[in-house]
Amino acid sequence: MPTVLVDGQEVEIDADERLNCIEVARRAGVEIPHYCWHPGLSVVASCRMCLIQAGTRNAETGDVSMVPKLVPGCQTPAKDGTVIVTNSEVVRQSRARVEEALLIDHPIDCPICDKAGECLLQDYHFEHGQSERRADIHPFSSRRRDVGPTVTLFVDRCIMCTRCVRFTREVSGTAELMVSARGAKEEIDTFPGFPLDNKLSGNVVDLCPVGALGDKDFLYQQRVWFLKKTENVCGGCATGCSIVTEHNQDTVYRLKPRENQHVNKWWMCDEGRYGWHHLHDATRIVEVSHRNHTHWNTVEWTSALGQLTKDLHDAGRLAVAVSPMLTIEEAWMLCAVARAIDPDAYLAMGHVPSTDHDESFPGGFTIRREKSPNRIGIEMILSMFNALTENSTVPEWKEFLEQIRTEAVQSAWVTAGYPTPETSWCDEETAAVFDNMNCLVVQDLFRSPLSKRATWCLPASGFAERHGTWVNCGHRAQTFEQAIRPPAGVWPEGRVFWSLLGRQGLYDPESIRETIAKNSVGFAALSGDMPSLGVDLRLQQVTGT
Amino acid sequence: MKPSDTFQPVLLEAAGIQDGFSIKSYRSRGGYAPLEKLLVEKKPAEVVDLVKSSGLRGRGGAGFMTGLKWTFLPKDHPGPIYLCVNADESEPGTFNNRILMEEDPHQVLEGIIISAYATRASTAYIYLRYEYPKSWDALQKAIDEAYEAGLLGDNIQGSGFSLDIYLHRGAAAYICGEETGLIESLEGKRAWPRIKPPFPAIEGVFRKPTVVNNIETMACVAQIARRGIEWFRSIGIPADPDNPRDPGSYGPKLYCLSGHVEKPGCYEAPLGITARELINRFGGGVWKGRRVKAVIPGGISMGLMTEDELDTPLDFTGPGTVGCLGLGTAAVVVIDDTVSIVDFLHNSCRFFAHESCGQCTPCREGTNWSLRMLERIRAGKGRLRDLDLLAEIGDTMGMMPGSTICGLADGAAWPIKNSITKFRDEFENYIKQTNPTGYMETDPVPALPIVTTH
Amino acid sequence: MIANRRILTDDMVARIEALASRYPTKQALTLPALHIVHDELRHVPLEAVVEIAKLLDLAPAEVQDTLTFYQFFYQTKPHGKVRAFVCRSISCALRGGEQVLDHLCKKAGIKPGETTPDGTITIEPAECLGACDFAPCMLAGNDLHKDLTREKADAFLDSVGRQNG
Repeated sequence: MPTVLVDGQEVEIDADERLNCIEVARRAGVEIPHYCWHPGLSVVASCRMCLIQAGTRNAETGDVSMVPKLVPGCQTPAKDGTVIVTNSEVVRQSRARVEEALLIDHPIDCPICDKAGECLLQDYHFEHGQSERRADIHPFSSRRRDVGPTVTLFVDRCIMCTRCVRFTREVSGTAELMVSARGAKEEIDTFPGFPLDNKLSGNVVDLCPVGALGDKDFLYQQRVWFLKKTENVCGGCATGCSIVTEHNQDTVYRLKPRENQHVNKWWMCDEGRYGWHHLHDATRIVEVSHRNHTHWNTVEWTSALGQLTKDLHDAGRLAVAVSPMLTIEEAWMLCAVARAIDPDAYLAMGHVPSTDHDESFPGGFTIRREKSPNRIGIEMILSMFNALTENSTVPEWKEFLEQIRTEAVQSAWVTAGYPTPETSWCDEETAAVFDNMNCLVVQDLFRSPLSKRATWCLPASGFAERHGTWVNCGHRAQTFEQAIRPPAGVWPEGRVFWSLLGRQGLYDPESIRETIAKNSVGFAALSGDMPSLGVDLRLQQVTGT
Repeated sequence: MKPSDTFQPVLLEAAGIQDGFSIKSYRSRGGYAPLEKLLVEKKPAEVVDLVKSSGLRGRGGAGFMTGLKWTFLPKDHPGPIYLCVNADESEPGTFNNRILMEEDPHQVLEGIIISAYATRASTAYIYLRYEYPKSWDALQKAIDEAYEAGLLGDNIQGSGFSLDIYLHRGAAAYICGEETGLIESLEGKRAWPRIKPPFPAIEGVFRKPTVVNNIETMACVAQIARRGIEWFRSIGIPADPDNPRDPGSYGPKLYCLSGHVEKPGCYEAPLGITARELINRFGGGVWKGRRVKAVIPGGISMGLMTEDELDTPLDFTGPGTVGCLGLGTAAVVVIDDTVSIVDFLHNSCRFFAHESCGQCTPCREGTNWSLRMLERIRAGKGRLRDLDLLAEIGDTMGMMPGSTICGLADGAAWPIKNSITKFRDEFENYIKQTNPTGYMETDPVPALPIVTTH
Repeated sequence: MIANRRILTDDMVARIEALASRYPTKQALTLPALHIVHDELRHVPLEAVVEIAKLLDLAPAEVQDTLTFYQFFYQTKPHGKVRAFVCRSISCALRGGEQVLDHLCKKAGIKPGETTPDGTITIEPAECLGACDFAPCMLAGNDLHKDLTREKADAFLDSVGRQNG
């Protein structure tokens, strides 16, 4: 195996890996500081923070010959015999100088800068910088420049790493950002009338190592050291980007993508990134209500669930629409509950919101037209319950509606949970199909023409309020943790169905996942601990592992 | 090696000749016949060998072996291969390319055509700086004449070799004279030099194999083709037999002499003439009967030589022996003893701060910081500590320590290094006299408001 | 915000397109296109940048990025009918170039880098013009003014004034 020496430590790499010194050093637990390098962008080696000493060790003689000058770690390939030194005095001094250089014309306005606490300029100054300022003093605050609907720019904090410009040219392909002028007067800017306005725009804020670029959505909302991070999955579309929900006191403040080379590389789209506000929308349904003709009553949960079960039992044949917003654990439990109430219950896929077409970007990222995270997972769960049409496919929302329309069923449970407070997912015309049901249960985030007709209207939970597994368009199953508690009065679906199944104690999603894995070949890979980047269900099926 | 006395200019052979820039004149002097002969008698690889064996080193500033650079091109590449001719001459003190282009453009063109033939380039771009309108007209006229004479275009003289030459106009940015800065500018982008590898010979302009050569280098190629390897190697300073890494300094060189001399001008001499001889024999001596304070050996990037260093041979190795960066463009600028070294260094720092492309941190901030310090010193608020800071910037900024992407930073650093090393007393006296109450301050001081526009 | 009338004339577009066969990419036409427009209009307005970008299949920001790098192209308003570059690099500075620049600017009533209010002349400091054999020197249009003295500078300004009414 090719071996690289990092500060005297031996690190083995695979023969076919193409790594630079930063990547290899990481494997030895050594972090080479850098600003401009990013694995998802072209290498420019312009910040010069990653300068190290490099050389080669002769395989036979063991003699080491070092390149006589410093080299950038980001552009130096690590091969068999490469020797890297990151902790010598000359490297230390180089880093201190680069850091000093970046701070000469920097406003150093940390007290009013959002990036404080997660800023590389701060971190590297602390770790690698000089303890005293040597350059002339000129306090000033940064100019601010609007670059687009989602992103704001604090011009003078910029360290000219050009990650943002390269992102718009290489990944989004929209080229809205540019560098203007030359030398020390360079600034990031947009062309007047052509703002940074593409669906991946928020990623430039992730990329910015300092507080120059900021999310307008997050600006001045919360200091980052108060934020707790929970690994999560975006529920915005079938891509299922791996994300991190950052929250405090049950309030979400922002979402960030997680690196997942199988799904979203390093990116997420704006709709997903800024699509969490519905969780805290004041119009959310936050209690169970029961309708008697036109009269609504709020009902306490435990008695509501008991009454609801009885109502459904007595109402005739049951049809259940399993929303693609549900996790597979929730979906499995719902189907089990439905069949317990009515062994002949009609199970179908809930409404799947879609737009016209997928949107692909040059850097290899795709926003899917299917705006739900778990259609494939629900399909697989429904198959487990043999909920199939004559064509051996899973019934969809339109087949479900047909059942209602033809009065083949007399009661229905519709799960929804779509994150659109402004426009209802179910219009008046569709809702009217449900007018003559004996019992209609609607479980949703927001009121709609359908919930108006419900006998029982239950609240639903959002993506950050549940623990479970979704399967994306690439058949990758990702299990995620609950980040925040839903608003008071809301029982997440998991808790509701667990209770209806008669299970005791707190909802244990892992046990449901185990049950699913044991009872389905397709889901066999879900047994045991789930890797944080998910698992490809088809691969496991093929390899039988 | 006996220089100058018996040396007849060859690169400047058109000087004083009526219509020397015309194709007629050039042919009458023996021009284009060598090209025509080469096309028939030699294969491209043989021409590469010819230039390699001549020992020709690039005249643009780096002094890299021209023929050797051509061998870096991938063999059997399907093409296209590009030849970029660097006519962006912007190094302060330098004007020899201008003279060649204005007075003998066909000599340059023949060199380009021969070089393109050798490197199998099918297109040559002459990247010409904006500030040379006369050169533009002269070159375009010569190019038109060459097309007309069947020396350019498709299937030149039935050889199967085709070449187009296009002029491409710059826009007053010094960094476009840097090899990969030129390439980026040619491609239509901001002229931020590229990291290497990949080297232009492998992946250059438009991602294709590219060779970048200087105008004077092209003229040398034409002369080598005409007069032969032995002639070329009979001129200059041979390689040091004790130093296997020394390729020698062969051939004639155009030395630009300017500044405080009686007769500024471009003078041709064998490589290796000393600054003292250049000033006294060609330049008519220091002007106004004054004494030399310092001499720039090869364009401002190379730093300074003191009066007692003026007997250093101006070949590729000489200036380095007295602490200068190298021969550079062989542009010798004389500074007399009425000039304050502080003013000199300010002029240099201002130039580099203006021209720094801004891509990499040490140069972008180092050139700016050094200019700000020089301005503060000149404004009477300098400190002795500033000299240490300037020296540190000088020692740490550049390709040589590895801290920058291109050599502009080295060029910015060397005048700082040389000035402070060789004239420290003068700096200290100036600072003490102009800032008697504050020169000892070591803590940071308030920055001056920015006054000098650049 | 961008005006509807076109800035690039048919002639300009034709001249830009005529160069297309010289380069394998459209982006390489950026600098020549900027020169073609700037030579005629003495500036490259924002609208022209948008038009050039369309012609070259580039985003306007990409063209603007290149344009602003050179610190050479005027944009918000045209430079003077005469644009005088006075060299201030070392060889010219050693022979009085900065004093000539100061003198010229004072005489014209402007600061270095500015244009006279009547739009006749712009006087700018330039870095080495490559005419150090005739230092101090100045480039105005296609004319190189050599061995400048105060008197020659005055005469130049006078002739500019006469030519431009």
